[in-house]
This record gives sequence, C-alpha cells and structure tokens, in this order.
Amino acid sequence: MYIFLLAWRYLRTRFIAVASIVSVTLGVATLIVVNAVMAGFVDQMHQRLHGILSDIEIAPPGMGEIYDVKWCEEQIRNLAGDDLEAITTVVRIPAMLQFTFNGRPMTHTVMLIGIDDETFGTVTDFEPYLTNALNQQDPSFELRSEGYDPEIGECGWPYRRKIAELDRQYQEQIRQLQQHRQRTLPTPMNEASPSQPAPRATQQQAQGLPPLPTETPVLPATGIDERQTAGVANRGLPYVDPSEQYRAPIAAEDIFDASRDQYVGLIIGKGISHRSIPASDRGPAQELYLLRPGDDVHVTLPTAGDNPSPIMENCTIVDFYSSNMHEYDSSFAFMPLSHLQKIRGMIDPWRGTASVSAIQIKMKPGADLDQMRDKLIAFFPPDMPYVIQTWQDTQRPLLNAVNLELTILNILLFLIIGVAGFGILATFFMIVVEKTRDIGILKSLGAPGRGVMSIFLGYGLSLGTVGTGVGILLGLIFVWNINGIANVIQNITGTKVYDPMIYFFDEIPTIVSPWMVCWVALGAILIAVMASVLPAIRAARLHPVEALRYE
Amino acid sequence: MSSQAQPISHATEGTAASVSPVTDCPRDRLRVTQPTALTAVNVHKSYHSGSVVVPVLRGVDVAIGEGEFAAIVGQSGSGKSTLLHLLGTLDKPDEGEIWIGQDCVNTMKPLERDRLRNRDIGLIFQFYHLLPELTALENVMVPRMIGNGLFAWLRNRRHYEKRAKSLLEKVGLGHRLQHRPNQMSGGEMQRAAIARALITKPQLLLADEPTGNLDRQNGEEVIRALMTLRDEESLTIVMVTHDDEIAQSANRIIRLTEGRVAA
Repeated sequence: MYIFLLAWRYLRTRFIAVASIVSVTLGVATLIVVNAVMAGFVDQMHQRLHGILSDIEIAPPGMGEIYDVKWCEEQIRNLAGDDLEAITTVVRIPAMLQFTFNGRPMTHTVMLIGIDDETFGTVTDFEPYLTNALNQQDPSFELRSEGYDPEIGECGWPYRRKIAELDRQYQEQIRQLQQHRQRTLPTPMNEASPSQPAPRATQQQAQGLPPLPTETPVLPATGIDERQTAGVANRGLPYVDPSEQYRAPIAAEDIFDASRDQYVGLIIGKGISHRSIPASDRGPAQELYLLRPGDDVHVTLPTAGDNPSPIMENCTIVDFYSSNMHEYDSSFAFMPLSHLQKIRGMIDPWRGTASVSAIQIKMKPGADLDQMRDKLIAFFPPDMPYVIQTWQDTQRPLLNAVNLELTILNILLFLIIGVAGFGILATFFMIVVEKTRDIGILKSLGAPGRGVMSIFLGYGLSLGTVGTGVGILLGLIFVWNINGIANVIQNITGTKVYDPMIYFFDEIPTIVSPWMVCWVALGAILIAVMASVLPAIRAARLHPVEALRYE
Repeated sequence: MSSQAQPISHATEGTAASVSPVTDCPRDRLRVTQPTALTAVNVHKSYHSGSVVVPVLRGVDVAIGEGEFAAIVGQSGSGKSTLLHLLGTLDKPDEGEIWIGQDCVNTMKPLERDRLRNRDIGLIFQFYHLLPELTALENVMVPRMIGNGLFAWLRNRRHYEKRAKSLLEKVGLGHRLQHRPNQMSGGEMQRAAIARALITKPQLLLADEPTGNLDRQNGEEVIRALMTLRDEESLTIVMVTHDDEIAQSANRIIRLTEGRVAA
C-alpha cells in the first residue's frame, strides 16, 4: 500500500515530475496526431485510388487493343465465378484539347477515356466525382440546364445559349460591317466594268435562274474561334453550293445551332479548367474557369490501327470530373465509348465488333484480388501479352512510398518518446538522490529492497500513465479539430498550413484507430517504466544506514 | 516470519519458567541466565574509507534482558550508533553475532531481517526521520502498510488507523493527525516517530539519541512518553544517548569506550 501512496504523493508533490509528464504528453500527442493524419491520408488515398481505378485491369501493353472483347469477358466471368461484380471496357488514348480563352488559343494534353456510361460507374467510383448533381444520380454525356455546382458560376444550357446569342450578334455585326464596306468603299472589286462579270445574283437573274436566297443563313457562333470551326455554317461568309439549286433546301432544324445543339459530350477533369488565383497586388483571390460546361472544344487524337493519323473532333464540355486527385483531375477527359471507337476506327466493318484498350473488373467485397489476378495471368496464354494488374499493383510505387514514410515517421516519433524516457531517467535519478533519506527511513521500517524499487517503478508507471492519458486526450482533441487549428495557424502566420491543391483532399483527413492509440499508450508507458528501472534498482540497493546518514 | 526467525514473543513464552536458553550458540559464552530480548556477542564492525580501515566496534558483548530500559552512553565516535544499528538489523557485523530473542540475525536472509525489523523492532532516530510527504497519521501507519499486502491492508485499515490514532493521542498528538512533518515542532515530530515505532506492537524499541535534537523541555517530554509507553506496552528499550542526565532515567547504563563495553 505504501508503494501506491508514496508513488502518488511523489507525483503530486514533485514539481519536477511535471516536466517528465509534459515530455511524455507531447510525445504521445504528437504520435497520435501524426498517426491519425497519416492513417486518414492513406485511407483516403486508398479509397480514391481504388475508387478511380478498377479492382483488376486487363490491358495490352502500350496503346495496344483487345479485339476479342466478348471472348475475354466470357473467360473472365468463368474464372471469377460468383466473386465477379461487374465488368466494363474502356478506350484510353492520349489526346490534345484545344480551345480559346479570351481570344487566346490554348492546348492541353489529356488522357481521353472512352467509357460506357452504363457500366463504367459499376466498376469504379465515377458518378460521385462528377460535379453536376443530376449526373451523380444518372451520368450522361448530354449537357444539362441545371444541377451544376454554383461555385463554377454560369454554365450548362443557359450559359451556352447566352454565348451563342452573343456570338450570333457578333457575327451579325461583322456581316453588316462587310455589307456596309461593300456598299460604301470604291474598291476594284465592286467597281463595275464591261470586262468584268456582273455580280453573281444579277448574272443568275439574267440567266432566268432562281434568285439566290436574300438571306444566307448565318449560323450562331459556337464560342469556338472562327478559324477553327469546322463546317461551312460558321464561316460567316455567304457560300453558295453550285448544286444547291438542284437540291431541296436544308431544313433549319438540320443546321447546327449552338443555342440548341451540342457536339458529342466530354467530361473533363476539373483541374484542366480550374485555376485558383491567389490574392496579390493586382486583385483579390479568385477562382477562374478556362472552360465551363456548355463550352465547345476541339479534341485531336490519333486513329487506331497500324498507321495512326490525327483526327479532330468537336466536343461540348458537359461536366467536370473532380476526384481531388490532382494527377487525375488535371489529365482525364471522358467521352462516350461507342463514339470514340467510331471516330478512331476501332469498329470492325465486317464483324461489327469493336476493340477496346482495356477490360476493367470489379470484384465483390472480400474477394482476393491477388488470387484473381494470378488466375487471369495463368489463364491468358503468353501469346496474348496482356498486362494484368490489381489497383494496388498499378499504384505500388506510391503506396510503398507512403508506407515507408509512415514507418519512418513512427520510428522518429518513438525516438521523441525515447528522449522523454531519458528525461524521466534523469529526473528519477535526481529524485532518488533527493529521496535517499526517505529510502533509508523506509528500509529502517522494514521495507524490502523490492518494495523500495516498486515505489519508483510505480512512480514511473504513474508518471507514464498520467503523461500518456493527458497526451491521448490532447492528441484526440487536436485530431478532432485539426482543420480548425490549421485555419487558426494560417490566420496567425499568413502561411497556408494545408493546401488542398497540393494534396488529394479538401480537408486534412484523419482516422483514429483504437489499436493505434493502445499501442502508442502501451509504448509510452513501457518507455516511462523502463526509464525508471535503473533509478529504482539504485534506490533498492541503497544501504539503509548510509541512506539515513545522507545529507 | 519464517520458522528460522521466530518472533520474540514466542521466545519469551518458551522461557517463561526463567530457564536459560540452552543452545550451543556463542552467546552461551555470556552465561546469560535470564530471558534476553537482545544479545550481541563479540561484535566487531569497521568502516572503510578507501584503503583505510577504521575499526569502530572491537568485540562488544551485550545482553539486554526483557523489559529492561538500557542506555548506551559514550563519547562521540565510541560506536554507540553503530552498535544500535547492528542491534536494529540495519547493518551486519563484520564479526560476532546478534540475537533478537532466540533468533540469530546473522543467519537470516535479507527479507527475514526486513520482516523482523518491521514487526518486532521499533526504531527512533535523532532526526525523527518522518516521511515529509505524509501526514502524522500516515507516517505512523507506514510500518503497517509495509508489513501488509494491499488487500490485508485494506481489510485491516480501520483497525490500524484506530491504533495509530490511539498512539498519537498517547504521545499528545491527537490534534496533529493530519499535519505534515513540516507543520510540526521537533518534539512533536519525535513523539510521532515514537508512535510510528510502536504501531506494530514490537517488544523491542531502539532509540538513537531521541533527545539529541531537542531542547531540554521537549527532551523530557519525549523521555516521559517513552517511559509511559514502556510500561503500557511492556517494552524493552535500548537508548543511545550522550546525555548522562537522560541516561540516568534508564535502569541500566552500558558505557562504550573505544569500541568496547567498559567494565
């Protein structure tokens, strides 16, 4: 009993013990915070990576293609059996995205992915990363009028119509200006001379042919630079097809109207369009979008086959993809699979089957991915050199790097507690020296050496326990309020503590594992007790008479 | 206590008929004819200071009878305190034997000596040696805490507390139960130390200059308390003092000169 009583009293009355407690507390709190943040980071990263990537992917090396998709799918279903949840196919091809911003042509390299919007979402977490709320429910490559994130600002069909109207007005002004110039400016072109042919309309009238339409339909602009727009309608100049007189006039609804029609839908990574401009002398901070849903772009990509040649496709941005993984958000662009296969020439005209770049597999929860991967590797013959990888294989370097970082951090932080342990050791030696006479008293009263030792071990234990307890409490409070604390530090120092642009997540992710807390607590208490062993042995070995005489 | 180290009470029961313990032990050389509480036979003790050996006790033979109040007197450096420490099992003699009742201390294991010291010997020191972190009541109860395991202590705590309070009241500290040593005077601390020495109901009380650090009035109070408790608790008291006047209150005076008992 005296062991507990004295250990407790020493703890209460020795101010020097507070220093040891504080060092243990700080060590434990730091370990808990760092482990919680790292665990949160790793978990979120795993979730994101696993969500974006399929469980297992079968793809030919490089830009190769899988031609016998149906057969492959059938074999995969047979091999996976009940563990299979879903299969989808994708086409992946590097492409260039071209658009104009404030009159400046811009080009961005992207990984163009052709997806089947019905099955792709069953294999990967695609929908949750779309910014349009309606697309999150039912993904579509059709431009929508509503459901977009208000942060983007004006977008969707209202934005497209507005831009189209402005473009139409602009084209109209250009046309009027040209007409005015033709009427007013005497140029060699409009000066009539007997040797020159009469104006076309006059010529036609003279020949008894039907007159040209007085108003050549000037199509509303699409927001694309005029030079880059494909098709006759967007050139803004009257053009007369010589054979037009023999054909039925083009119906108005068949003519592309940007305020009413869209090109093939394209979902691009938000990072391609979005720029955060920090506050500076030139102005306050602002969120800038180079492209918005409703804008048109050109996509240049190679055709399939042995001799790829570039093709250009007009597309309309219909949504953003925002996984918060910068690597993906700044490079992914999604297009309907069938359309991409068609424009790249991936459809076999004889059989009507289409090739793909990869087959992606989703297994049921709990299924052994490595085992399935090995089965597939064993099944596909060597003459079909497919690269078969789980999502972890694909991201192995990153995952390994993070695990290594976590291990090294833990070692370093336990060294901090080790330093605290040496603090306890020094403190305890001081306390043993200070308490030498008390040790003599206790021994004179019949306390055995092991009893005296137990006092100091108990002291170390209680010191470690109190320090660890406070450390856990402090660490958990810190973890639960880590984003608020980061903001406060940011406000005080003016330095961005956590930049979501650099990391994968909007907020600092944390996960507190009870096991982790237990291990940290046990480790810290053990170190505190170990640090008190030597002083305790020294105390136990003190000679009672010498201890009583100690001044 | 193990079978080797029988309590003094057992030894005295065994010698109730005033029969001298007949053993082949060296203490027979002292020809003790009455029950003894404490015996030292040819005790030698030296201290080492580097390579220099300083002999302190050079063959001390002492036998203290049960219920005796003996005062060990002598000049400074004569080895009074060293002898008391040896008698109190705080130290071991270089040569010779110490007997507590019928038990030879020399053959005891350290743990048995600790138990003997805890249960059968009460020790009082010149500088009181109370634990500063504990109150007077707690200080008095410490030997009981040491002698009992946690559960035995919790089981008997009330009983021990009652005894501690009773002892403190007997030495006139009934009003100082919750006071810490630094809130008490020297005399009060020494009386609390006496109460602590008696909490385990020992038969033997060893006091090392209990009045050495007190003024005359307080010293007299302490001696008075000792005498009262000696009668009440049937104690054998061995007191080291350099004060001849206080030594006169004892019924036997053992004088040490140059490490030996003077004739």
